[in-house]
Amino acid sequence: MSSVQTESHSPPLPHSLPTNTRKPRDRYTGQKLAIGFGIAAVVITALVGIQIGTSGATLVNVLQTFWAKITGTVPTDRTTLLMHNVIWELRLPRVLLAILGGAALAVAGTLFQGLLRNPLVSPYTLGIAPAAAFGASLAIVVFGATAGSAAVSLVIGALLFSFINTALVLSLASSRNLHATTLILVGIALSQLFGALTACIQYFAEDEVLAAIVRWTWGSVNNSAWYQVLALFALLALAFPYIRFRSSALNAIAFAGDDSAKSLGVAVSTVRLQTIAIAATLTAVTIAFTGIIGFVGLVAPHIARLVVGPNHRFLIAFSAIIGALLLVVADAVGRLVISPGVIPVGIIDALVGAPIFLYLILSRQKAIE
Amino acid sequence: MTLQISSLEVGYGKRQVVKGANLTIGKGELVGLLGSNGSGKSTLIKTIAGINTPTSGSITWNGDADLAKLARRDLARIVAYVPQSIGLSFGLDIREAVLLGRTPYFGTRPRDEDWAHVDAAMQRMGLEDLGDRAVTELSGGQGQRVLIARALAQDPQILLLDEPTSALDIRYQWQTLAVARDVTRKNNVAAVIAIHDLNQAARFTDRVVFLQDGVVIAEGRPADVYSPELIKRVYGVEVELSLHKGFVQVHPLSERDQSALGLHSTPPEPTHDPRTVEQRGYATA
Repeated sequence: MSSVQTESHSPPLPHSLPTNTRKPRDRYTGQKLAIGFGIAAVVITALVGIQIGTSGATLVNVLQTFWAKITGTVPTDRTTLLMHNVIWELRLPRVLLAILGGAALAVAGTLFQGLLRNPLVSPYTLGIAPAAAFGASLAIVVFGATAGSAAVSLVIGALLFSFINTALVLSLASSRNLHATTLILVGIALSQLFGALTACIQYFAEDEVLAAIVRWTWGSVNNSAWYQVLALFALLALAFPYIRFRSSALNAIAFAGDDSAKSLGVAVSTVRLQTIAIAATLTAVTIAFTGIIGFVGLVAPHIARLVVGPNHRFLIAFSAIIGALLLVVADAVGRLVISPGVIPVGIIDALVGAPIFLYLILSRQKAIE
Repeated sequence: MTLQISSLEVGYGKRQVVKGANLTIGKGELVGLLGSNGSGKSTLIKTIAGINTPTSGSITWNGDADLAKLARRDLARIVAYVPQSIGLSFGLDIREAVLLGRTPYFGTRPRDEDWAHVDAAMQRMGLEDLGDRAVTELSGGQGQRVLIARALAQDPQILLLDEPTSALDIRYQWQTLAVARDVTRKNNVAAVIAIHDLNQAARFTDRVVFLQDGVVIAEGRPADVYSPELIKRVYGVEVELSLHKGFVQVHPLSERDQSALGLHSTPPEPTHDPRTVEQRGYATA
């Protein structure tokens, strides 16, 4: 148990005072504080992240840019204009895509782990990543490997096959009432299928095409654009209230099991179908923009659980914060280590995250089990 | 105030598991559901709990509307279900695990009233000092107490227990059964417990119901219905009965006992149940 969670409960009540229940606001102070601090940490790392890069920028530059955009003024001086453009067109969408993508993958991971009652699953368990990779590969083969013209076709290809995959998994598993094991097994089968299809493309592809496919699968925020930031933001803004509304149903499914959840008044199949559809959409849209960023969707929920506990009412928000932090930091590190070169965030994410995760597992085994 | 089950039929696909069951259970009464594996005990309990849907027949409470036709959430405010102790993951703390019982009552945020029920249920089950412990740290008996506390927090009028003792050692088996009987009396609920141990059923329940292949074949006070013939018919074993402190007790006989007593030694019929082991396993799963 985390210290935060323990602090949120006062000592047991004496036997003579059974009805003297503590006010609800006292029970979750730790969780609420953690979320508050988390949001502050995301803002701070984002501001730091925006400053990192080859053409340098200070906090003052960043704030000036924001101010100029708010007031609609265009700087007359050429260097300032260039600086503003770097910050507004390159750095800001990149950092925001890392934040929103990390949050989306972490939320999806939390939902999948809870719904399938399995701490080992990630947003990719249902086979979305290989399907998206196949879609992207197909787009690269058909439309060519040149980045500029291919960007939108890549996004559409990846998105299309992610949705085909999700629709297949859900319809195949629905004959078995969407049982957790069936979903996982169908996901494994489709992962293999799309993996083999991608391998076929790679086997026959030209070197240049092959390189483009491999680069896509590394996962990065290098090709971020404002439309991606806005799309992901809109999606999260729509999904989050629904997920929060379902948090007690999620708790019942995750911690009591299907049968007991039904006996607690939860429409298990409906909730599972809707929530998986949401988690899959969050995952699909994110990786269509970024390529396959592994690790964060598996690990952010675990780290979050260690801090705020497993109650989905707080876990989902805090997972989103941890996911955002992991990707923003990983992207910043990736831009620093071999500057001016950039290591894709998907690689750094696992390099930085794996040791942290190992430390947490080994030092606090009970909470992971 | 009774739970009335009339001509209830339940099946998985084409296979009928419960076939025309009729049962009446009164308030404050603990009824034991007995029968071999695959006889339909679990299915019957899960159908009352709204986990399975009946194909025909009715389940009524106080002569009101059919429970099977109620909205899930409304049903969950009347009926609580205690499963076998299950593997719990993700380290939920006990207070939160009991709070799950309030799921049918609150939306996103538990109210003061919900916490009051949680604290009362925890105190009732002697868990008040363990509230901050993770469920993963608990022993089997404590885990089962958490599940019963969760059901009590649901504030039910009907309490269903599906083989709650099968994963426990004898100490916790007795503790759990004593608690189940106690709760039935003090909370004045109609309670049904699926149970394997005939002696424990005789000791703790008011009435027993024998199910065979989804049909009720006998019911009444244990001392009245237990007979070597019935038990041979249901379980395929030769037994002797005795009375111990006023409770009827069942003693299976070995082959040697049987020849020593001059009984005709018949091995249990191997094709007693025509279904495969897998099918029967599914019916109780």
